[in-house]
Amino acid sequence: MAKIEIKNLRAEYVEKLDRFVALDDVSLDINEGEFVSIIGSSGCGKSTLLSILQGLNFPAGGSVTIDGKPITGTGRDRGVVFQHYSLFPWMNARNNIAFGVKQVRRGLKRRERYEVADAFLERVGLSEFTRKYPHQLSGGMQQRVAIARALAMDTDILLMDEPFGAIDAKNRTIMQELLLKLWDGEERRKTVVFVTHDIDEAIFLSDKIVMLSNSPGTVVKEIDVPFARPRDHAELVQTEGYFKLRNEMMSLLFSSVGDRIGGTEVVI
Amino acid sequence: MARLRRLLTVSNLLFIALLLLRLIPDRALRVQDHFEYTTYFAIALEAVMLAVTLTTKNDRIRHVFTDVIGFLFAFLCAWTLATAKFKVLNEAVFPPPGAVFQAMAVDVKVMFANIGSSLVLVFRGYVLALVIAIPLGLFLGWNVRVGSAAGYISKFLASISPIVYIPYFIVLLPTFRSASVAVMFMAAFWPTLASTMSGVLGVEKRILDSAKTLGVGHGTMLFRVVLPAALPQIFIGCNQGLSVSFILLTSAEMIGARSGMGYYVNNYANFGNYTRALAGVFVIGIVVTVITFFFNILQRWLLRWKR
Repeated sequence: MAKIEIKNLRAEYVEKLDRFVALDDVSLDINEGEFVSIIGSSGCGKSTLLSILQGLNFPAGGSVTIDGKPITGTGRDRGVVFQHYSLFPWMNARNNIAFGVKQVRRGLKRRERYEVADAFLERVGLSEFTRKYPHQLSGGMQQRVAIARALAMDTDILLMDEPFGAIDAKNRTIMQELLLKLWDGEERRKTVVFVTHDIDEAIFLSDKIVMLSNSPGTVVKEIDVPFARPRDHAELVQTEGYFKLRNEMMSLLFSSVGDRIGGTEVVI
Repeated sequence: MARLRRLLTVSNLLFIALLLLRLIPDRALRVQDHFEYTTYFAIALEAVMLAVTLTTKNDRIRHVFTDVIGFLFAFLCAWTLATAKFKVLNEAVFPPPGAVFQAMAVDVKVMFANIGSSLVLVFRGYVLALVIAIPLGLFLGWNVRVGSAAGYISKFLASISPIVYIPYFIVLLPTFRSASVAVMFMAAFWPTLASTMSGVLGVEKRILDSAKTLGVGHGTMLFRVVLPAALPQIFIGCNQGLSVSFILLTSAEMIGARSGMGYYVNNYANFGNYTRALAGVFVIGIVVTVITFFFNILQRWLLRWKR
């Protein structure tokens, strides 16, 4: 049995009394310990899919199960990193993490929670910023804290919604490598679902890439990424088959956009 | 040299002008002029200003200090000229500043006792209002349906001046004192409730989503997430409530009170002693300014996480 099973999922959203189909007939299995990216152009419903996994949104049809049990809401088995506002602005970096830890590990004393927080801040390279508030940190640092919080909560599953989408190109590369290092370094690898619109990011990070087409979102193709780990940006680009895979994804992404040209709406 | 030029300011010139007013002979007044008290007060202000001018490097703070104190000197000059020196104003209602300062100095003990009494009154009503309004506002704002109805009702009730309720308070509450506390309570309650409710409704959905994904319980959600997120908005109501409380202090202390700054002013105004009444008014002004100052420090500390 796969860790996450999505069967014939349909999702709708209502805007000014009109119903739109965001996702239609999406079926997908995600195995334990697998790093899966969901890629597609803006408005393809990839964030809707993730919010259903988060338990913030609910399916209009089909089923989504984790360990065989349907999702009934948000849960402490899933850690989440959003693009913005994962952190609480009134808590400093350490308190943000300690607050997350407190929700999943009730028995810990305050001092022990701080120790966990500080250890994870060290792992993301922010030892000197434990007492800084989010507004005193750069966008990249804020995402490091958010990732540290998700890891510190030690959930089975990590759900990440374009976490590096607002970070400049150079720092994004650094963050991707950090994320892989942390994920690889865990005793038991977490199951990760990572939403992005960046092809290179998806290839670099994932075991499997799921491509979604535009409105309504359906799975166009599932691609296994064959490259060996640990991965390195400079090496990966020189690996045989990298550009072939990249070009294939490019054309798939554009053709799924092209389908809609001539229709009522094109969102890229 | 630069320091010397710093001293050549309008404020300092006004200070010297104020001291020189001594040279103009007084008109005969029924109340005594007590110009020496004006002089003491001016010298104290000047000392503070000089200390600030010569020590602080922050231009903005220095300018605010010198400007405010300069304005006070100008005001004292004009006041002295219009009363003791040229008798432009009715002397029964407008005593010269020296007389008012003298009254403050003579009455200092009484004043402190009255300030204490007033602050206890304001404090009781205000704290009671916050303790009830903030949790209630959180609850009402969080339950959207009840909240929107409560929003309209509280807007209607907030538009009624708490003074209107005074007769009811007197009938319903056991003591005059508790009726006064009730006025203070009403003054702070509605603005705090309204701002808490709107603060809760204004909390970013993304913050709430983030909290939900951490799996927080109801209590934690309300008091560790929604409350701090709404706090900047809540403070707007608390500030408003505090100033309305002080404005209504005089009315609240008209209810059978035998102490308090409002009572002090009322009492002397009723007996036509405007020197004492004005002294009381100034002391109220000073006390309110000091309290607002500390309240702002508290607010800045609690909201230090805001950019």
